[in-house]
Amino acid sequence: MKHNIKVVLSLTIISSVMALLLALTNAITAPIIKEHENSAVGGALKEVLPEGENFVSVDLSKYDLPETVEEAYSEDNGGYVFKLKTAGYGADLILMCGIDGEGVVKGVQYISGNETLGVETTYGEKFNDVTAENIENVETVTGATKTTTAMKNAVKDALNSAIILGGGSVDIRDEATILNDNLKTALPAAEGKFAEIFITEKKGNISAAYKAENNTGYVFILGEIFVATDNNGAVLNAVDDTAKTEVEAVAAGIINSTMTEIDISGFADMPTHVQKAYKTSGGNYVLELRAAGYGINGDKYTRSGEYIQIKVSITADGEIITCKTISQKESEGIGDACAKPEFYNQFTGRLESNYGEIDAISGATITTNGFKTAISSAFTAVKILKGGA
Amino acid sequence: MSKNNNMSILLKGILLENPVLVLILGTCPTLAVTNSVIGAFSMGLAAMAVLICSNTVISLLRKFIPDTVRIPCYIVIISGFVTIVKLLIHAFFPEIYALLGVYLDLITVNCIILGRAEIFAGKNTVGKSVLDGIGMGIGFTLALLAIATVREVIGLGSFAGMEIPFISDYKIEFFVKAPGGLMVYGIMIAIVTALTKGKVPMKKEFACEGCPSAGVCNTACKQVKEEN
Repeated sequence: MKHNIKVVLSLTIISSVMALLLALTNAITAPIIKEHENSAVGGALKEVLPEGENFVSVDLSKYDLPETVEEAYSEDNGGYVFKLKTAGYGADLILMCGIDGEGVVKGVQYISGNETLGVETTYGEKFNDVTAENIENVETVTGATKTTTAMKNAVKDALNSAIILGGGSVDIRDEATILNDNLKTALPAAEGKFAEIFITEKKGNISAAYKAENNTGYVFILGEIFVATDNNGAVLNAVDDTAKTEVEAVAAGIINSTMTEIDISGFADMPTHVQKAYKTSGGNYVLELRAAGYGINGDKYTRSGEYIQIKVSITADGEIITCKTISQKESEGIGDACAKPEFYNQFTGRLESNYGEIDAISGATITTNGFKTAISSAFTAVKILKGGA
Repeated sequence: MSKNNNMSILLKGILLENPVLVLILGTCPTLAVTNSVIGAFSMGLAAMAVLICSNTVISLLRKFIPDTVRIPCYIVIISGFVTIVKLLIHAFFPEIYALLGVYLDLITVNCIILGRAEIFAGKNTVGKSVLDGIGMGIGFTLALLAIATVREVIGLGSFAGMEIPFISDYKIEFFVKAPGGLMVYGIMIAIVTALTKGKVPMKKEFACEGCPSAGVCNTACKQVKEEN
């Protein structure tokens, strides 16, 4: 027993004394080590913000910043450096971005990532002296759209974050969230669940229409205005009279439109692009088209073998009401832009005489031409269907 | 305690009982850090500092530490000193801290230090233990330096980071990799064995009785004794 006590005591005493010595050493070295670490980080931060002084890490938990912001450092002159993590062609693209007190980007450096193109290491230089106002003027690089778009968006996030950290407020929601939030405000009864509808009838200046998934009504987008209606097309929310009149003029027609399929096998001259055709209750035509883009006519080793599927509604007079890309397998980051509303919405309101004037997809001539050819067949098809019906 | 005796304690660590090349202790850090002369030198000094401190304290406490828990006590003392040395290096020599990396922490389990605590410091006076620490430390440092010099010069064509003209055009990177390290280490042991042929005394503390497990080992030890 006596022996045991001695054993326990001796170990306890030795451990305590050593712990005390360690505590003493740590008290002396900890501040010096901290300083070293700060200056090491500071060196890296100075690369992107050369005029920065005394960088201090910012506690991000206090702010609602975009998800790309991994770390943030503030400095004495009101500038910030952000470590950004985004995904380009591969995952985990890490950037450092320095923004000075005036909100001007002073340096963007590519740290690491799984990109393959090489452009990522130099693309950051394009952001020197860019601000939140003119960042849209920095062009992405054709052939490396994914990488450069991701980098550009990350820098945008950094610019927004600098404003937020500086006490300002910025809308950091992405486009889909903004849209859904606006729809929700217009028609709260839908509880935020909407499905876009394909407009087949006369629509005036309406750019898009959404149906509440719980059948509580519809929301029409008229320029910047979100107009909610009930299932009969009567406007529900408070909007100005012009918008109300404009929506009520066409809403019921859009909501109540029905389609009947037309058997196209009987039309010998029907262009092969047309897969299916429908006539709507309003006397318009809806066509399902397939376009031979790069997936069919591209380089034989890189093409996907798939058509671009397009749905288009056209009045009997040959004016496009709505055009939408349903599916496509064009080249990633290039031709796949044909699936973006910015591209297919260009066809809205176009006639056979002017549909060719739309902006082509940069770097994807085969995709654009294939798409246009299919649209030209749609005009032909409508003439044939009208003649035959 | 004659002067002569003290001198021999100090010197034996350098060649006759060199911890790395004769006692074959501390092989792991030896192979790990000897691909650069600076790394080897700083590792040698760090280990020496820990060795001297731990030898001193263990020798001081040798009558206080109960036999049954001596290994835990030694480890606590050694790891304490290692952490102190690590903190000091981190604070005052950050480049060396980055160079040594995890091997700095591993000094804790460097068998030279635990071995000297067990074989020497736990049984000898403070003065002798300090001398033993210094001698063994110098021996360790010199051995690391010798191996590192060969490896860095041949493998990287440089010495302590300074490029050597001509050789740097014909460097053989194999030598800075693990297999090269083992090879150089083996050749060094062979050279030392050849140099000290017949002079390396099979001292009690190095033979079976010197083994840390001698107290509990009752098979191999007995056989060795009988053969002797």
